[in-house]
Amino acid sequence: MIRVSDETSPVGRVLGTADATPLQFWTAVSPDSYLQLDDVVVTKRELPDREPVTIAGVVTQVRARHEGAQFDSDVFAIADGTLPAMVQEAAEITTTRVDPELYVPPAPGAVVYRATGEARDAALHFDRMERRVPMGTGRDGVPVFLNADFLDGTRGAHVSISGISGVATKTSFATFLLYSVFRSGQLGADGPNARALIFNVKGEDLLFLDHPNTKLDDKTREAYALLGLPAAPFPDVRVYAPPRAGDSSGAPDVSSRLTGVDSFYWTLAEFCETKLLPYVFADADDERQQYTMVVHSVTAHLNRYAVPAEGGVSIDGKRIGSYQDLVDHIVEQLTDDETRSTWAGSAVNMGTVNAFARRLINSKRDLSRLIRGDLASRRPHQIKTAASAQVTVVDLHNLPDRAQRFVVGVTLKTEFEEKEKSGTGRPLLFVVLDELNKYAPREGSSPIKDVLLDIAERGRSLGVILIGAQQTASEVERRIVTNSAIRVVGRLDPAEASRPEYGFLPPAMRQRALLARPGTMFVNQPDIPVPLCVEFPFPAWATRKSESGPPPAETLRSIVQGADPFAVVGSGGGSDDDIPF
Amino acid sequence: MFVDAWDPSYGASYEGGEGGGDGPASSSSQQVDVGVEVPAAEWAPIGVSSSVRAPDVVFLVDGVRRNDAGLWTAEEDGTSYAGLAASYAAGVVRCDLARGVAEMAGARVARGLFTASPTVGDLLAGTVKYEVHRVSGTGEASKLPAAVQPPLTALEIEISAAARDGGSDGADLLIVDGPLRSRRQLPRTIGYIKTQQKQYLPAAQQAVVPRLRPAQRTPVFKIETVWGGWSWYLRLPGSSGAPWSGVVRVECSPELSPDQAIELAELSVVTLPRLASSAYKDPRAPQNLVPIAGLERRLRGMLGDARVLHRVLARETARTRLTS
Repeated sequence: MIRVSDETSPVGRVLGTADATPLQFWTAVSPDSYLQLDDVVVTKRELPDREPVTIAGVVTQVRARHEGAQFDSDVFAIADGTLPAMVQEAAEITTTRVDPELYVPPAPGAVVYRATGEARDAALHFDRMERRVPMGTGRDGVPVFLNADFLDGTRGAHVSISGISGVATKTSFATFLLYSVFRSGQLGADGPNARALIFNVKGEDLLFLDHPNTKLDDKTREAYALLGLPAAPFPDVRVYAPPRAGDSSGAPDVSSRLTGVDSFYWTLAEFCETKLLPYVFADADDERQQYTMVVHSVTAHLNRYAVPAEGGVSIDGKRIGSYQDLVDHIVEQLTDDETRSTWAGSAVNMGTVNAFARRLINSKRDLSRLIRGDLASRRPHQIKTAASAQVTVVDLHNLPDRAQRFVVGVTLKTEFEEKEKSGTGRPLLFVVLDELNKYAPREGSSPIKDVLLDIAERGRSLGVILIGAQQTASEVERRIVTNSAIRVVGRLDPAEASRPEYGFLPPAMRQRALLARPGTMFVNQPDIPVPLCVEFPFPAWATRKSESGPPPAETLRSIVQGADPFAVVGSGGGSDDDIPF
Repeated sequence: MFVDAWDPSYGASYEGGEGGGDGPASSSSQQVDVGVEVPAAEWAPIGVSSSVRAPDVVFLVDGVRRNDAGLWTAEEDGTSYAGLAASYAAGVVRCDLARGVAEMAGARVARGLFTASPTVGDLLAGTVKYEVHRVSGTGEASKLPAAVQPPLTALEIEISAAARDGGSDGADLLIVDGPLRSRRQLPRTIGYIKTQQKQYLPAAQQAVVPRLRPAQRTPVFKIETVWGGWSWYLRLPGSSGAPWSGVVRVECSPELSPDQAIELAELSVVTLPRLASSAYKDPRAPQNLVPIAGLERRLRGMLGDARVLHRVLARETARTRLTS
């Protein structure tokens, strides 16, 4: 039962000149009040021999017009003060909740109240959410929540965020959502224990998640306090960057963040043993070609015959110390008539082998810095969220396209396999991946797309939650979008907004999405029939070098020490944590 | 040749005589004093005087009426009287020309049952009450509509008096739609007559009227009858160019001094042309003033839906017939 709380104030009456239906009705706004889009209102319908029905909804359209004017030019006479007329505002209400569930229309003339407090929570179904993750404030400045059941896999999982690059603030929203999951305490022990894997695709803006934002002002702090969140950077972040190209020491290739960055790479032995070769051909176009057969037989051959040898590998007695050498060796063996059949099988013609060889040679430039034979295999270099910090940022922005696909594909595959092995859905792993349309396009198939589809369809039970972002949801594999319980939209391209992928947005909201400001998102979650307009606060962590405060103590330590021995014990502890003995 | 600006269903803005287009036909037998403002021989159109300032606030009063249903009574002696259920409303618009706000300063709706039947009482139909107004005489159906006018006029007077309750700056002007009649005691008030049926002026002065250009008036003259008073003709802008098109007659209380009457005449010349309507918006343009048209629209809205009222009346009378 929705209670109409004491603070609610009448704002108007249901009007009778337009049809009032149980799901949508118009309200005339009284002259001394106003309603804006997204305001929450509530009204009552008395019924004979039954308890009254409370109908709650949100404003989806507001209009004002001159009553008593017949012609457009009458407005001048009205403004001159010669024609008497009345300005009348009316608001369209889309019902969000009917309590008890008796779908009767509100009676024209019924008083409509602005819903606050409990009534507002009930109207937006917040009262039925057992665990609610704050995700920002509504247009009325009061917090709005996400039902955690649809985030952590209890009843649904995955988030799909769409919007124009640059203005839609997709990544900011994704990181804010993560922050809220970690810090709101709504997920119980799952929250702090959860891990996040973030791929940084553009610029270095995600590399400072653990640095305080120097531009943080009191207003933003208040906004965080309102949501019940501390305004602080992420406490426990580890950043991985690829090794600098042409640098034999394997130093991470970052320009702005200098401390607390580890480089990631794969040794040749790992490359051969864990069958990573298919991810070199991770382009969607590649899968349609004939040579995939060659890829798989070469992968199998490497897996079987490559022997680790001082960082590099030894194949058929030949010592190979770098990716270039490996490629050259494979190509050599394939072009040699005597060895070709042992590598690629007998039924392969020369054209197919050449197509494979051409692409493999092309990959040398892109991947040689990631697949190494010259660096120690003992040195920590693998991206493993289980052994890493709470938030793992993988920096891809310096890498060419093929290398990005390789890293994303291999990392996701490894993480997903780890999860499958452990067989438990906990701890949760959130994967933030921008430009999902590149990795899981609607057309074609690739090894990465297979991994992403696996995550979308089975990740829910394994505790792998995909937070995917893309400019255009229409270009992303449909099964991934449909599997996302939570859909978020920022500023949209006008042509994109009209596509059926955004059918969950009512027409008025679709129009608004064309002019949404940075920081404004429309969030659709399964148990609220109307998408909510959300404004999330400015990040409390730095998003670029210029606004970053002093780095946290742990990262300073790693200047002299690649791996912090204490970080293994109680990660996230910070420097002031006591050692428990 | 000129096409009359008024919609034919409203009649003509003046009743032409045999000569056609010469102005109001039926020449009035009333005594008229034409030498009040200027000597009769010097009559000529008078334009806007530069010293006159238009009033900031103008009140306009008007009423509307509608016949909701015709009724027949069944008396015990077998005879039957005609009855008329009518709704009527009067309202006042306060045009604050300085601020640019026109608002309805007051409105009242009344409903009446007009009949000569001695037995009929008030008619209650749902929440609507038709108060009985007993008509004297035989009360033929054709005479009943005229009986609505006195209560409507009374309502208009009531609302006109209340118009300035909200405060008056002493320089405002009250415009009454139609002749002043019994409203002549209201201060700073002019009556506004849209249709010209009687010829008041002698032929020599009458000839001045077609010569008026928009926003010009004739000199003030006095009609020496019971309902007479100070009066003058005025041409509104937006007329078709026909000799008498756009011409209205304005009157004020005979109790005023000639100077006061002339002052009101000058005020009317700066005020009324501003309020004139345009032909494509109003079937009675330009005489039907814009605020009056807006007011009438609002008042008609307040009368309620005619079909609903008719149905309510039919149902209510049927129910009382069954119970009695």
